[in-house]
Amino acid sequence: MNERVAKSPQVTPANLTLKHPELGTGPVPARPYWDPAWYARELEAIFKRAWLCMGRVEQAKSPGDFFMKKLPTFDLSVLVVRGKDGELRAFHNVCKHRGNHVELREAGHCLGFTCPFHGWTYGLDGKLAAVPDEKGFHELDKKKLGLTQLPLEIWEGFVFINLNLKPHQTLKEFLGEHGADLEGYVFHRGTAIFEYEGVINTNWKCMVDSFCETYHVPVLHRHSIKDTLAGPDNPHGRLIDIRLKGPHRTQSVWGNMNYTPNPVQGLAFQYAPGPSVTSGVVDEHSVLPKGLNETRAPNWSIDVTAFFPNWIIVMGSGMYFTHQMWPLAANKVVWQMRGYLRPATNAAQRFGQENSMVELRDAVLEDCNTLERIQASLDQGLINEFIYHDHELALRHQYHVVKQWVEDYERSKST
Amino acid sequence: MPARKTSALLPTAFSGLSDLVEGWALADSTARLEKRLTTPVAEIRAFYDRMLPCAAEALAYLAERQLGALTPQEEALLKLMLSLAEMGPAIEWYGTGAYPDAFDARRFPLVVTLPDNEAQGVAA
Ligand code: FES
Ligand SMILES: [Fe+2]
Repeated sequence: MNERVAKSPQVTPANLTLKHPELGTGPVPARPYWDPAWYARELEAIFKRAWLCMGRVEQAKSPGDFFMKKLPTFDLSVLVVRGKDGELRAFHNVCKHRGNHVELREAGHCLGFTCPFHGWTYGLDGKLAAVPDEKGFHELDKKKLGLTQLPLEIWEGFVFINLNLKPHQTLKEFLGEHGADLEGYVFHRGTAIFEYEGVINTNWKCMVDSFCETYHVPVLHRHSIKDTLAGPDNPHGRLIDIRLKGPHRTQSVWGNMNYTPNPVQGLAFQYAPGPSVTSGVVDEHSVLPKGLNETRAPNWSIDVTAFFPNWIIVMGSGMYFTHQMWPLAANKVVWQMRGYLRPATNAAQRFGQENSMVELRDAVLEDCNTLERIQASLDQGLINEFIYHDHELALRHQYHVVKQWVEDYERSKST
Repeated sequence: MPARKTSALLPTAFSGLSDLVEGWALADSTARLEKRLTTPVAEIRAFYDRMLPCAAEALAYLAERQLGALTPQEEALLKLMLSLAEMGPAIEWYGTGAYPDAFDARRFPLVVTLPDNEAQGVAA
């Protein structure tokens, strides 16, 4: 018998943090969660250097397909385009003539990009192809005036870019063990997509943290998901496990296998096109990768896999959804939540999908007033440090990773 | 064509719910949220109580039908069920319609919506 399969649901002891002595057990300073000067350093050291997820390969399937991803943090838009050669490329959506955006649509299909200002035209490969009244320019070297191409790499069908034109790591190096351990998940099956977006008055790291601990589930979420992700056998919402992998981390969330759904919810679980995220049902057709429910606990519901710095995939066995955080200031963030459901194969399954969209939104919105109140306390200087529970290890880890990235980068610049 | 037939709002087996169509068969997910936010909880509960006893039968009926190929009556039935999905947590989770410490859901709108009645292709 495989020893790694727990025999019965059990509550994890409070000894997760002790496995990482380098992170300590004491309070964590609160300054990085409100200080505008620290925030500016984070942008340089982290957001301009880490690999950032733009979307899925399916968003640009055929040559000429493109999609645009807005990066609110930098007021930038990135064009992801599939070329005639079948390769995906990413470009700054900025015309080399005088800086207008060359494409205004969010997605589409085209033969090339014609800037709507004076009509400079670029090929799918970004090369400057045509300039109206070219003879009117002095010394125009079209070869040097292609769209600026950004480094693009793909992991499991997710398209990543780097704002640094010469990244200090490849995507594979950046994702390391975290990426490798999640390979093989059926990401491509979630083709029915929905997305919510809003601005929350909170530090981007607090927004990430919001989804990275379940200590709050029995209290804050007492009306909604308390009985699915906690329950009589796990009254305080202890995790099954948490694994730190470089700057990233994965935590396996406990699930109440004896949960009785509410009437409408129960019908929705029955008619969902795949196991619903909180139904506690594991899809036997999908083989879980090593890094998902890594202890193979029987009472598992979801893994919250956090990709440094600003992307989280919440993975169940039948659907997944992502959170992405784009800071606007030290105390403000654009938050995007995108769900990837299995496609409905009949009209009743559309009802199951709607339930997923609604319950997910209702549950996560319960976190938001709390986040804005915490930020007000921080901005008013009323909190100097955070005290973390053992199972809030993810928050402690994020603090250390952020600090390390900032310090390492600044040291590398000064030498 | 007989007038009675063209004016049917729902498939015959569900004609008892016809009076709900006008108020609860709505354009899309965003309209359903707006309905929830602007409707008194007693009215939401009345809708929920009317729909729930027919819900299993409605889903069994819709399970035999394909998105994108629904008659107007079938689509109206689906839309009533989608409203039930939106109103479900209002009753089953919160009882009062909204979370007691409710964050304004309009601040977190859908920017990519799943259409109510369009074929979604085959599972990969
Ligand atoms: S700015 Fe694009 S053509 Fe002038
Ligand atoms: Fe939460």
